[in-house]
Amino acid sequence: MSTAQAQQKICSEWNPVNKNEYRGIWVYIEYVNGTIKDGSLQLIGKARELASKINTDVTAVMLGSGLGDSVKEPIYYGADRVIYIDHPALVKYVPHIYANVIVQLANKYKPEIILFAATKRGRELAPYVANSLRAGITADCTELDVDPKTRDLDQVRPTYGGNILAHIRTPTRRPQLASVRPNVFPTPPRDTSRKGEVIEETVESLPSINGQGLIEVRPVVKGEELPPVEKADIVVIAGRGVGSADGVKLLTELARLIGGTIGGTKKAVDAGWLPADRQVGQTGKTIRPTLYIGVGVSGAIQHVFGMKESKVIVAINSDPNAPIFQYVDYGVVGDYRDIVRELIELLRGTKR
Amino acid sequence: MGGLTIIVPVKAAVPNVTAVRLDPVTHNLVREGVPLMLNPYDRNALEFALRLKDKYGGKVITLSMAPPSGKDFLESTIGMGADEAYLVTDRAFAGADTLATSYTVARGIQRLFPNFDLIVFGEETTDSSTAHMPAQVASWLSLPYVYYAVDAEVKLEDRLIIVNRYLEDEGVYETYEYRMPIIISVYRNSNPPRDISLVRKVEAKLNGLVKSVDNNTLKLERECVGLRGSPTIVSKIEDAKPVERKKQIFKGDPREAAKWLLDSLTKEGVIKP
Repeated sequence: MSTAQAQQKICSEWNPVNKNEYRGIWVYIEYVNGTIKDGSLQLIGKARELASKINTDVTAVMLGSGLGDSVKEPIYYGADRVIYIDHPALVKYVPHIYANVIVQLANKYKPEIILFAATKRGRELAPYVANSLRAGITADCTELDVDPKTRDLDQVRPTYGGNILAHIRTPTRRPQLASVRPNVFPTPPRDTSRKGEVIEETVESLPSINGQGLIEVRPVVKGEELPPVEKADIVVIAGRGVGSADGVKLLTELARLIGGTIGGTKKAVDAGWLPADRQVGQTGKTIRPTLYIGVGVSGAIQHVFGMKESKVIVAINSDPNAPIFQYVDYGVVGDYRDIVRELIELLRGTKR
Repeated sequence: MGGLTIIVPVKAAVPNVTAVRLDPVTHNLVREGVPLMLNPYDRNALEFALRLKDKYGGKVITLSMAPPSGKDFLESTIGMGADEAYLVTDRAFAGADTLATSYTVARGIQRLFPNFDLIVFGEETTDSSTAHMPAQVASWLSLPYVYYAVDAEVKLEDRLIIVNRYLEDEGVYETYEYRMPIIISVYRNSNPPRDISLVRKVEAKLNGLVKSVDNNTLKLERECVGLRGSPTIVSKIEDAKPVERKKQIFKGDPREAAKWLLDSLTKEGVIKP
């Protein structure tokens, strides 16, 4: 740190930071109902890459009650070390309690970077942790890099609707916190022969919940449903151009035949043709399937934001000037009803 | 006085994010001279707050940190049913990242309305969509908080609130019980907002119902607000580069189109023949 920086007066509610005391990259492992979220595992892969650039290690941090053997999982996916707390009070997820425990650990170990999967819970947790450490945080990063000299994290995030990429840095504070949308990075391979250190930590004190906290959990009852959009290798997306819920039915049939699932743009969800948890785009989910098929999708930047990392992109649209055709590998111009019916017929033919 | 005191912090969002200007030095959005509108998801938050007020009494106060031109969109929160609106505006607050903004909002609320029961936020903004503010404000105030709320029930005599929230990615509803005050953010696909009454909005303008507050009133430390209170910097901006794509387009007979597409996708190995 330069003398000028050291002497610059900081907010009296901030702790002074000596950057050299902070080392190592942390990944917060989200553990819900006995499973680790894919988004957390994906960050271990990215953290490995960053760690090798600044010659440091990757630590996975896990909280819960009755964690059992799952504490070894992060090692199998590439972490050097796992720090976990297994405490009866953590059986219930209460945002400010979980956040406070992570803050206590970060104050003890002083990591230079902490990564969170930007799941709904991750987006809730990370800003509280960052703020309590008076640290900078960047949401929904799509790329991360690290400067080997300054050890500053280069955090890239789309902003102002997704047409601009902003590079964000936190040169004077540590740790540096970032959240990354699930499926922006691939899941590293699971290798059960990998070895690493597993450390059990204890909590010094838990803040008061101030009430009972979490009192009830009710999963939404679902019928015979196709997989969620973020889990499928093939995703068929309905845009406003499909015109009706019946159109979505036709696309669902196509999705079933090719072993995929169905999703929609914001417009299709707002029209009530699909539930909100199937929305893909900036205000919905980010997906990176091997095959994306957009039907009647115009290609608004907010939607493209959530699907542009797909391996192969296909669009079917009657408007040859629809912006979606700028993003496709294969595009078909025409009435989607005719084309999808032909596709269904051909696929049934091969199945017979 | 009975009922609830509910603060709804709101943001002036830029309606058309593709037509904005960025400051060449700070890379921040230039908000001066840009028409501002109420962030759409803040209307869902305001609806959530107004429903609680309708049921349990009390008052709803909106507050925004914005340039002086923000008076206009705050008038529309009164049009929607807010009782009072405050514009927190000062040159010292300019250039703030989410940490400095949350500091200003949190300490501002503490100073102006120390006896609040709830702070209710929208899920995120449509222009920068970080969803940081509710958790950061909760951290400054050391209060419990919960995101993605869809509705709530209050037991006034015990100062308890029971909040239902929906986690979209897990397809799960959860119920939390806390003693107030707490911080809530409202699920964006819930609480469809009521209409803005133009009569009330005009009354708000004519009667000057939106009050301005600057740092002479709040007396926040210079080092904690605005650019100086912001640990993050935007080091570079660039246009998003699209991934290179094949861009093969077929136009013609639907049967031929379907055959061509299945052939191409089979060759790519993404569907099985």
